[in-house]
Amino acid sequence: MNLLLTVNGIVYEVEARPTARLLDVLRDQLGLTGTKEGCAEGECGACTVIVDGKAVDSCVMLAVQARGKEVLTVEGLAVSGELDLLQQKFVENGAVQCGYCTPGMLMSAKALLMANPLPSEQDIRIAIAGNLCRCTGYTTIVAAIRAASGQETAVMELPVDAEELAAEVTTDVETLVAVVGADTAALLITDEPGGKPRGEGGE
Amino acid sequence: MTQDLKYVGRSYPVHDVAQKVTGELIYGSDFRLPGMLYAKLLLSPIAHGMVKRIDASRAEALPGVVKVFSHLNAPMDPFCRARIHPGQDLSPHDETLFSEHVRFVGDRVAAVVAASQEVAAAAVALIDVEYEELPALLTPEEALARDDVPIHPGGNLAYEHQTEVGERPDLTNAVVVASSTSTPRTHHAALEPHVCIVQGHSTGGMTVWTTSQGVYAARTVIAELLKLEYHRVRVIKLPMGGSFGGKTEYILEPVTAFLAHATRRPVRLLFDREETMIATMCRPATATTIRTACTADGDLLDVEAATTLDAGGYASSTPDYSIHMCKKITKLYRVPHYDHRSRVVYTNTPVGGAARGWGAPEIMAATEIHMDRVAAALRMDPVELRLKNMVEPFDIDPVTGLSLGDARVRECLERGSVAFDWATRRARPAGRGRIRRGVGVACGAHKNGMFGAFPEASNMSLKMNEDGTFELNASLHEVGCGIVTTMKVIVAEVLGVHPDLIAAGEADTATTPFDYGTYGSRVTYVVGACARVTAEKLKTTLIAAAADLLKVPVERLYAKDGAVHIRDDGDRAIAYRDIARLSQMKSTPAISASTTYYAVSNPASYSVQFAEVEVDCATGLTAVTDFLAVGDVGQAINRGMVEAQFQGAVQMGIGYALYEHLDVDAAGRTGVDGFKNYHIVNAPDMPDVQVLLVEHEGDDGPFSAKSVGEIAVVPTAPAVVNAVNNALGTTLSDLPLIPERIVAALHSADEEAR
Amino acid sequence: MAAIDVTAPSTLSELIEALARATSRTRLLAGGTDLVRDIRQPGHQPDLLIDLSRLTELSYVRLDGEMLRVGATTTFTELQSDALIREHTPCLAQAAAQVGSVQIRNVATIAGNVANASPCADGATALTALGAEVSILDGAGHVTSRPLGDVLVGPGKTTLSHDQAIIEFSFAALGAEYRSAFAKIGSRTAVTVARLSMALVVRFDPVAAALTDVRVGFGAVGEAAFRDSELEQVLEGRPADEESARLFAAGCVAAVQRSIPGRYSLPYKQHAARGLAYDAWNALALCPPCEPAWD
Repeated sequence: MNLLLTVNGIVYEVEARPTARLLDVLRDQLGLTGTKEGCAEGECGACTVIVDGKAVDSCVMLAVQARGKEVLTVEGLAVSGELDLLQQKFVENGAVQCGYCTPGMLMSAKALLMANPLPSEQDIRIAIAGNLCRCTGYTTIVAAIRAASGQETAVMELPVDAEELAAEVTTDVETLVAVVGADTAALLITDEPGGKPRGEGGE
Repeated sequence: MTQDLKYVGRSYPVHDVAQKVTGELIYGSDFRLPGMLYAKLLLSPIAHGMVKRIDASRAEALPGVVKVFSHLNAPMDPFCRARIHPGQDLSPHDETLFSEHVRFVGDRVAAVVAASQEVAAAAVALIDVEYEELPALLTPEEALARDDVPIHPGGNLAYEHQTEVGERPDLTNAVVVASSTSTPRTHHAALEPHVCIVQGHSTGGMTVWTTSQGVYAARTVIAELLKLEYHRVRVIKLPMGGSFGGKTEYILEPVTAFLAHATRRPVRLLFDREETMIATMCRPATATTIRTACTADGDLLDVEAATTLDAGGYASSTPDYSIHMCKKITKLYRVPHYDHRSRVVYTNTPVGGAARGWGAPEIMAATEIHMDRVAAALRMDPVELRLKNMVEPFDIDPVTGLSLGDARVRECLERGSVAFDWATRRARPAGRGRIRRGVGVACGAHKNGMFGAFPEASNMSLKMNEDGTFELNASLHEVGCGIVTTMKVIVAEVLGVHPDLIAAGEADTATTPFDYGTYGSRVTYVVGACARVTAEKLKTTLIAAAADLLKVPVERLYAKDGAVHIRDDGDRAIAYRDIARLSQMKSTPAISASTTYYAVSNPASYSVQFAEVEVDCATGLTAVTDFLAVGDVGQAINRGMVEAQFQGAVQMGIGYALYEHLDVDAAGRTGVDGFKNYHIVNAPDMPDVQVLLVEHEGDDGPFSAKSVGEIAVVPTAPAVVNAVNNALGTTLSDLPLIPERIVAALHSADEEAR
Repeated sequence: MAAIDVTAPSTLSELIEALARATSRTRLLAGGTDLVRDIRQPGHQPDLLIDLSRLTELSYVRLDGEMLRVGATTTFTELQSDALIREHTPCLAQAAAQVGSVQIRNVATIAGNVANASPCADGATALTALGAEVSILDGAGHVTSRPLGDVLVGPGKTTLSHDQAIIEFSFAALGAEYRSAFAKIGSRTAVTVARLSMALVVRFDPVAAALTDVRVGFGAVGEAAFRDSELEQVLEGRPADEESARLFAAGCVAAVQRSIPGRYSLPYKQHAARGLAYDAWNALALCPPCEPAWD
């Protein structure tokens, strides 16, 4: 049957079997494999997406039930590569290990914060009670959600842009000339990628 | 800490965290190939019997079905799913791709290959099979009693082992205590079900994409079974949603490889949750009796133990598992005489095999529940009794003859007792009301790799790019606990550059060097040590290249913070990237290093854990209200992730103690088929786990690091069980402590009181 | 594979048309949290699927004189937070809050909970104690009303025929003199199927200082949610005191025994019933919290 679905702000027209679950359409037809399948019975929450502002298990919802509704999946959280605050806090708090529960956790947490911007720890634990995790013991996940609501601080070293790091350990010209001689140094100075000028005291 | 460390010991997210939080990462179950076919297995609905007839004609007539396979048209050479070396014969080769003799509910009977998952599922339901049922032997006792019903040709006793060390001292006047503990068959419950995708090439070779903990052994098993040269079987490890040992052995790989090879097409086999629960592998059920003799002061004189391990329908790794169960107690306690017999018994139940801790959680549950009984018999505090008998650093393990290394378990127990306020909490009355509170402690020991069993080694190479970045080429198998990050941090520490300047990929038999994979608590200790040595070797090459450029002898150079510095020259320095670029043009075309690192030791890792529980006498439900995990990890490489290993392990261990079990009914069917009735601990029931790391130098791991992922779960369950027994005054020792068992224990305690 | 017809009525008259076409293989899709799994099993494929998600007119809670009326497709999330339900029938709000996870409660409906006829259904247990009437629409457009106990007959079994749909539940709004509570024992704190559940409704007559109109619904013990009049009589006319709690708990134990004699789970459920009785009793807050003597 023919369905119109709005997913992450895009309207898709899909041809789906009547018994196709929302999860099947997202993963198999729209290629949105961020939403995971862990149990197919609405128990583990790996398939959690947000439909009209509410977290649902997309493994026990038929695609037809989402007709005309707004579906938000994990792929819709970051905008142009800019992570959503919640995603950022999951990174910073080490809330991700194998990561298979992560998309569902993020969507349950997102729905919680949309309805309750300042949840208590108990609110958070209830909101993710239907999201199972076998790696973390939930400690870091709860901390990440608290952090996203402004209640906790990060604990991890953040990934740093490699180019910035490389630039940090660039030899300055004066030293370079001194240690390898002007001729050899010249080879390097003309060889800068993108013609980037080499600073005097490093960058 | 005396080590001056810049990157080691800080906290980092897993290497692919950005792809994970955006949903971008392609896991095994997300992986697709153009033209991919879909396989579905027909699993035995009966626990024991012979397939008398298979009629696949209705299934093959269904549009979209490519072919149906069974024992009638597949190779029937026996294989072992747990093999890691070509010639290994520890475990019997007792299973085939498809079974004519079905040995448990879930055994592979047939497979459909079809154009879609739906058609494959519909076709499986159309295969007509006639079985002749045999008596289902569902417990080791039943199986051993029925010689007349051999589950395998050699009989139902699959394996026996005995460890005996020391001389039995004079036991006159000794206090003798005996106990029996049983641990349940459990599901690993990695959130991603099992999956394998194989492209059968027209040339007869194949590429296998799998969510495995060891690609080289997958290759060995597949190539031997299908009689292919090893280099024609390429196995690539895909990102995986957890494993916990469940994806260590080769279950989906051989059958998927066969289906793809037979059809010369890409084929995917993806299990659902129920199939993953019953038809892959479980943590094996065990039963252990322990009899100890000690002096009135609590000094252990003699430990005699007997363990029966329920292998299920096939042996898999359980023989080795049973040996290892006889190798743990002496890593924890000094025992003058230790005699431990184990036996592995086939039953018509789901297959048992590798699981996080490899026998240690099972035997330590029995040991540590027993130690509380001994303490009770002696009216001694459980901590005091353990301290009296604990091993000391650099003790020789009498079973293996190897040093335990800088074993700091005593320090773990002492510091943990203080941090947990053990004495005060233990002295507090449990209460006489509906809610009873108790505290418990348990210790655990595990290992660091496989040194002692065979040449334990790792291989890798590291190259430097011309922009000052590095690439590590190693057969890494990330299971989710940050192995790739661990390697990056180790290399970063050696080279003095930020870990983000180092890239490391995962295993691919075609491109990455031989390594066993992620198991045996070997990754940080052995693979990590290899990374350290490899990085040091590269650093030497880098300094030599710098010496060449600078015309300065290497003795005057040292590497620090991404640059090579000249001593006694105003500390002038040249950046790594400039060395790389210049030397490529001037002298050294490539700066790289390769290493084979051989492990030289196998110390023990330790954890001591403290639990506080509240038991509701009305419902029999137990709440774990506080938890402290102390770990002797040598040195945390990635601190946040090491702590998280303990936090996650406690989730698994509480489930082991209180909820999780895959029992079978009279027909051999598991009562559970999904997470609706197999409960793992969810967020509202998890305590906030406190973690205390005991860090020290003294072992051979990278920067003195030791293993953590497995040891973290070893003492959890007995700590919880001991706390429940403390709360209720009971001697419960059959895990898990489900409400029925607690209520029954309360009733029998009532009756005794009358 | 045979075709499945899907229809999504958006008005009651469209629903009547759909029901008129229904056969024994037709299924009504409300929240779908149980149905979706079921219809994907081999051999369970329906011929016609009547999707109720567009029937917004069946999603409501309203006070109609003394009666509370709850539309069939009202979700548990809506019930747990609905002001009328919380004020007049707290036991139903409490039951709704303990159904499954947030994700399940967001879509699962009260009618689906009843029509699925699980003996463990939390919603059905609360509605049983509330003495709910079920309004049923059929393919001829007739609306009939039956007591809930006449609809639920066993595990997975109702007396609804294939051309009938539940459209509403109605029950007396409990007045200020009433108290009600729902209590449940599962195998963990949250997201768990009930192993034993109970809804308790009482009127406390302030003049006589006595309990009247006592109603007790049990779930997860026996074939379907049920009321036990013998047990209800135990409290009738009694004061709200510790002795009443004790008698009530003993009565619950006896009721469980009457319900599942000889069943394997009986010893545990009998024991647990006592604790559950105290949980429900204490939640009424009619007297200071009490607990049984455990020794």
